[in-house]
Formats: sequence, C-alpha cells, structure tokens
Amino acid sequence: MQSSLKKEQAPLKSSGLFSWLTDNTLTGMARRKALMGYLFVLPTMLGLLIFVIGPVLVSFGLSFFDWDIIGEAKFVGPKNYSRLVDDPVVLTSFRNTAVFVLVAVGFQMTLSLLLALAIQQKRMRTWARYLFRSIFFLPLLTSGATISIVLAYMFQREFGPINYYLGQIGISRISWLNSSQWSLITVALTYVWHQLGFTLIVFIGGLGNISREVQDAADVDGATGAFRLWFITLPLLSPTLLFAAVVGIINALQVFSEPFVMTKGGPGDSSRTVVMMICQAAFPNLEVGYGSAITVILFAVIMAVTGLQFYLSKRWVYYQ
Amino acid sequence: MSDHKRKPYSRRKFLRVAGIGVVGAASLAACGDATSTTAPAVTTAPVAATTAAAGTTAATSATTAAAGTTPASATTVAGGTTAPAVISGQGKSIKVAVLGDQTAAGRRQPLIAPFIAKYPGATVEIMPVAGATWDEYFNKLLAMKAAGNIPDVIYVATEGTQLFASKGLAEPLDEYVKKDKAALTSYFSDVHPALVEAMMYEGNLYQLPFDWNGANLYYNTAMFAEAGYSEVGADWTKDKFYEVAKKVSKKDAVYGYQWVNRVWGSWSSWMFTNNSNLLVEEKAPGGEWLWSTFYPNDVAAKNRGGGWRWTAAKANDAANVEALDFMNQLYKEGISPSIELGSGATLQGIFSAGKIAMTQAGGFWVATLKAQGMAKGSYDVALMPKWKTQRHHFGTAGYVISKDSKNKELAWEWLKYLTTTDAMNNELTLKELRATPVRRSLMNEARYGTDGPKNWKIFYDTLDKYPDTSPIPAPPSYLQMRNTFTKYTGLAMAGEQTPKAALDAMQKELEPLFKK
Repeated sequence: MQSSLKKEQAPLKSSGLFSWLTDNTLTGMARRKALMGYLFVLPTMLGLLIFVIGPVLVSFGLSFFDWDIIGEAKFVGPKNYSRLVDDPVVLTSFRNTAVFVLVAVGFQMTLSLLLALAIQQKRMRTWARYLFRSIFFLPLLTSGATISIVLAYMFQREFGPINYYLGQIGISRISWLNSSQWSLITVALTYVWHQLGFTLIVFIGGLGNISREVQDAADVDGATGAFRLWFITLPLLSPTLLFAAVVGIINALQVFSEPFVMTKGGPGDSSRTVVMMICQAAFPNLEVGYGSAITVILFAVIMAVTGLQFYLSKRWVYYQ
Repeated sequence: MSDHKRKPYSRRKFLRVAGIGVVGAASLAACGDATSTTAPAVTTAPVAATTAAAGTTAATSATTAAAGTTPASATTVAGGTTAPAVISGQGKSIKVAVLGDQTAAGRRQPLIAPFIAKYPGATVEIMPVAGATWDEYFNKLLAMKAAGNIPDVIYVATEGTQLFASKGLAEPLDEYVKKDKAALTSYFSDVHPALVEAMMYEGNLYQLPFDWNGANLYYNTAMFAEAGYSEVGADWTKDKFYEVAKKVSKKDAVYGYQWVNRVWGSWSSWMFTNNSNLLVEEKAPGGEWLWSTFYPNDVAAKNRGGGWRWTAAKANDAANVEALDFMNQLYKEGISPSIELGSGATLQGIFSAGKIAMTQAGGFWVATLKAQGMAKGSYDVALMPKWKTQRHHFGTAGYVISKDSKNKELAWEWLKYLTTTDAMNNELTLKELRATPVRRSLMNEARYGTDGPKNWKIFYDTLDKYPDTSPIPAPPSYLQMRNTFTKYTGLAMAGEQTPKAALDAMQKELEPLFKK
C-alpha cells in the first residue's frame, strides 16, 4: 500500500555536461536563478564591451600608432603623446574646454536651480508647473546641430535679432561669433540653452524628494528665504547637485556640436575644444593615432575630474 | 547539506559564457552589411528656408524624397539617345555616393531606370552622404573607407579630386576612356578642356566632369537701380566696384558686398584678379593622349597637361596681402558685414532678402534664389571686376570609381551614361536648375530663359573668354589647407590680426603641408 502511494521522485543529482545547471538541488535552483540574472544583464554587458570598452581599448592602442585610415598603421610608441604636449593648438583646446566647462556648467546649474526653485514653489499652480517644465525641457529634444544653426543666425552681428534688440536698448553690436572675446561665451550660452532642461528636471526631482516633514518643521520654526535655502534645501539637495555636476561636467568636457557648427573653433583657435581637435586630427589631417592620443588624455582628464568630485563630495554632500 | 553555502555560479564560469557571447556577437557584426546614409548629428539639419550649398556644385532643396534602389526591370531606354546593345548586369550592383540628404538621392532616382534598361539585372543604389561642406562629406567617405564599405562610385568635387587620387582611393579612367573613345567624343567636344584638366592628377584622368561652378558676381538689380547704376559691366574694375559698393551701402541696413569664409568664391576671387593665388601652381606632365584625341584643334586645349600641381604655399604674397587688406577695408568702412563661415547658406538668405548688393556665387544659386522668391530680373550675374587681371576660378565635380569596387565595369558604364545629354538633363532638370552643366550645349535659353539671370551666358563665358580661368587650389592636402585658410582669414577679418600678420601665420602653417 505504502509503496503504491510513494511518489516517484526525480533524482537529486543529474549527470551530463549541464549537470551543474539541471541538478534538482537548492544549489541547482540557485544557479539557475543566478544564470537568468546574468542572461538578462548579458546584452547590456555585451553592448558595453563592444561599443564602449572595446573602442576605448582600441583607441588606447591606436594612440601608439601612426595611421592615416587608408594605409597600414605604423607603430611609433609614445611619439604622439610627446607631440601632443608640445602642440600649442591642443593645449589651447584644453584650456578653452576648461573655461567652457566652468562657464557653461556653472551657468547651467545656477540657472536651472533657480528655475527649479521657482517652479516648485507652493504657490505655483500645477498646470503652470507642468507648462514651465515642458517649455524648458523642449530644447533638449532637439539636436545640438539644429539649435546651433538657428542660434548662429540669431547671433549674427549685422542681421541677427539678438544684436537688433540689444541695439534698441542702446547696446552696440557685439561680434558674438566673430571675436575671440565672445566666441567661446556664445557657444557656452547656446550649450546652456540646449542642456538646461536636463538639469532642471533633475533638480525638480531632487526638490520633490526633500522630506515633507523637514519642510513642515522648517515652516514651524520660521525658517524662510535665504536661510531656508542655504541651511535646509541645499544640503538636502546636495546628492542631486553632485549628480548634476558630475554629469554636467562630463558632458561639457566633450562638447562638439555647438562650437563646430557655430564657429568651427574660430576666430583662430579661440573656441576650439578638445573633441574638435580629436575630430580634426582624425579626419582632415588623417592622423588617427594622434587623435587617439588626445582622446586618451581627455579620458584621463574626465576620470580625474570625476574622481576629484566624488572625493570632495564627502565634505559637502549630505545623505539622509 | 552544504550545497546552498557554495557559490551558485562562479565568476570564472560567467566570464567563460560571456566570452563565448562576445565572440559570437563579433562574428555577427563582421557579417553585417553596414550602411552609412545617416549623417552624424553635427552635419544634419539643413535649414529649411535655405539650402546647404557646397562650395562649387550641387545645391540641395528642402523637400523630401525617398532614396533607394531601383530593381532591374525591362524598361525601355528613355530620352533621345540611341539604345546601345543590351549588356547583362545580372547580379551586379553599384552604390553611388552623392553629397546631400534624401532629397539629393531622390533627385537622381530618374537616372536609374534608363541605366538599368541597358543592364538588366543590375542594381544601382544612390546613397546620400550628408554634409554642409565638401570637407564633411569627404570625412565621412574616409570613415567608410576605414570601415571597409566605401561605395563603388563617389561624387567628388575639385576639393577632393587630388585627395582621392593621391591616396589611391580612385581608379584612373584613362584605359576606360581610350576603350570607349568613340562614345565619348561628342561629350568631350561639348566640355571645356579646363574642366577636364581639373579632373586629372599626375597625368591620369580620374573623373569625367559632370557639373561645375565658376565664382561669378551676383548683384541685386533693384539695389543697383536705387543707387543709380544699371548693371555690372564687363569693363568694371576693382575701383569701380568699390565706388558702387560704397554708394549702395546704407549704414547698418544694407551692405554693398559680402562673401563667405571658404576657399571657393571668397576673397580668393580677389587673389585671382590681383594675379595671384594661395599656392604656387604648375602643370603636371602627361595627358597628351587625351588632348590629341579629343581636342586636336582646340585652342583652349593648348598648353594643357596632366592636371594641376600646387607645389608650395604663397599665402603672404604681396598681392594676397593687398587683396585681404581690401576686404578688411570694405568691412571697416561698413561696406561689408562680418563674414560668414561655412557653405554660404546664410549668404543666400541675406542676398535674397535684399540686405547685400553683391557677392560671389555660381550657377547653383539660380535654383535656390528662385525657391527663395527672387523673381527673374531682380538679380543678375557678371564677371568679377578686373584688377591686375580678370582671372576667375571655378570648381567642378564628377564621379570617381572606387579602387575597392568589385564592379568597376558597371561603375564605368554609369559614369559614361552620366555624360549623355539625357542624363545631364535628367539630373540638372530645367525645373531644378541646379549647378552648371559642363556641356556647353546645355547652357542655353531653355535652361535659363525663364528663371535664370539675364546675363546667364557669363557662366560659360568665364571659361570660353578667359583662358586663364583655373580651378581653386586643391592639392591632396586640401582639407588641412582649407582649415588653415579659414582660420587665419577669420582672424584677419575679426581685426585680431592685421592681414599681413594673418597671412604670414597662414604661410607658416601651410608650408609643412608641402614638405611632406
């Protein structure tokens, strides 16, 4: 009787090539679960390997070669790096990029923070909040090249509307794109206009995450205005500020569309950025190895700046 | 009992599986057929109201059209040419790269069916490669070459002829032309030898010119009339030009003259009329077979060689300094606005808006000015004013056969087909009026009578009546040369360097290009 009721049990251990997967044990089940997880992650990992890590490694390798795309690559050792150090145009492009980052990211974060604070204030109606969020986000949906073409027309010295309206208030014409003094600033303004929406949305999200209880307690204690902003809002927003700063600086260090379309790096080299130099080295000059060397240096700079930001964040970022 | 404490899946095993996956994915990628019709972000977005015109040829309009292949079909040959013997194109295909967007590809679609009729089974795919300027277009083609998928046939302008030829990217056409000389005799007899010579390099022919643009002077007739002038005469001098430009200008409102910071059709025109050039020029030997075969009695073919050589820089030549000084003077006196950089799309808009009276442009402007609403008679064309000479420059374009092409014969047939009047009229239709056809017989009243300028004959007269007209300086290092040229021109015109200092610096930067 017992033997007829006894259930047929599958063997605990299986055999064969995939026994480690098909074992009917707790370990086998755990392995199968883990494998599923890895399989889900695999496409992204492959994409990362093939389209990010792979090209980075290839670029690093190419930086030790002389290659004009068409012929064979010739190994030249660190010659490209020693050339780079003495190349005044490359050094100028790094300096320009640093200035650009300071101006663009500083302006972008300040403006978007102010806008986010204004949009998120209590007396702002919900429909107005949505409206302003959408309006400021719209430029981000357009390509940098398109925006650059349109703004280049607007900044045109004689025929552009910006100088026209400045003239109406008594400001004489500015050579926005045709002077070394203004070209980089003009490019930075265009960049900020394009990217503002992203930082704004990030800050709006960050402000929304500030604990309601803390805000109510601040209300009860009578904390208002600048005091409240400085001692309550900003510290609680600091993780978001860190994120915006890190992403903003990484993006700004790689700026290309705006200066390429609007000024081609000119007048002279006054608005030439590092990525423009990389592009110029690779294509008109057909010096892919040299361009790769500049890429590696830029990569190192981005890593260093990002690392520094995270290091310094221990002092000023407050995690709840 | 201890099973659940052991690691379920080790890192080593994961890396093994991932490695297999990477190899598999890489194999799939290698087998993939890359297409490169999409332009990178930086060069897309032609402005809707104006066109992104290249320096010498082929303007694009803002309408959209589908690109694609025309499968082989047994259609009859269109047009008035005699149908040649039907040659099998079975299984053969060629990709033809052209500068522009999908509109540019769509405009060339009518060319395919008649060609396919001659080669049943063949496939022709027109592949647009976007770029605001020729340099951007060439950069993308070089990237395709690096990726191993360069098209079979490539539309290349003067700016790239020597680059492609010197780098071994283009197939010399000499043997093809010799083999088919009977079919090409009427073509060459209809094309000025200057255009042909511009497509040669070191004694070999690399392209059959398809269209071209001389840098002529466009002027606004209404602005002229308002200032009391009727038209730009052929006897105009530089001083007369200055007088008129000054009179026409109204402070901060309209300007007498403007130009774009580029090699073709910029202050380079004044270099030429001042009897100078950016580079030292000479002729390469060779090409005698071509001139004696196709131009035996043509005076214009006398002293032609195997292509141009630009052997050294002479940017800071006194005549060039004088020319750039003149441009600076016009800007400081408010006769010229600040210069534009790029392809001239803004310039077209400003000219058609009646903000500038004169500028240099080529035949490719006729279609765009019409699209921008300039009525016939509202503008006209003229020769550049005379300075020490009245020498002009031009750019021309044609198709090269890629050295890597697996169907060179079919590619050659495509090139030959494009030399016919039917193909040229199809591509450069009367309705579109784009660029300037290389065939003299197509420069006629039918093409320009209704919508073109009154003095349209000036276009080809630039070649026929001025034998010293030559191509823009376009050595193999054109791309680097162009960047240097525009950089220091921009500095001089921004007032940040004197013309002399800027040209000295330009000279210093150009010299190493010719020492390589």
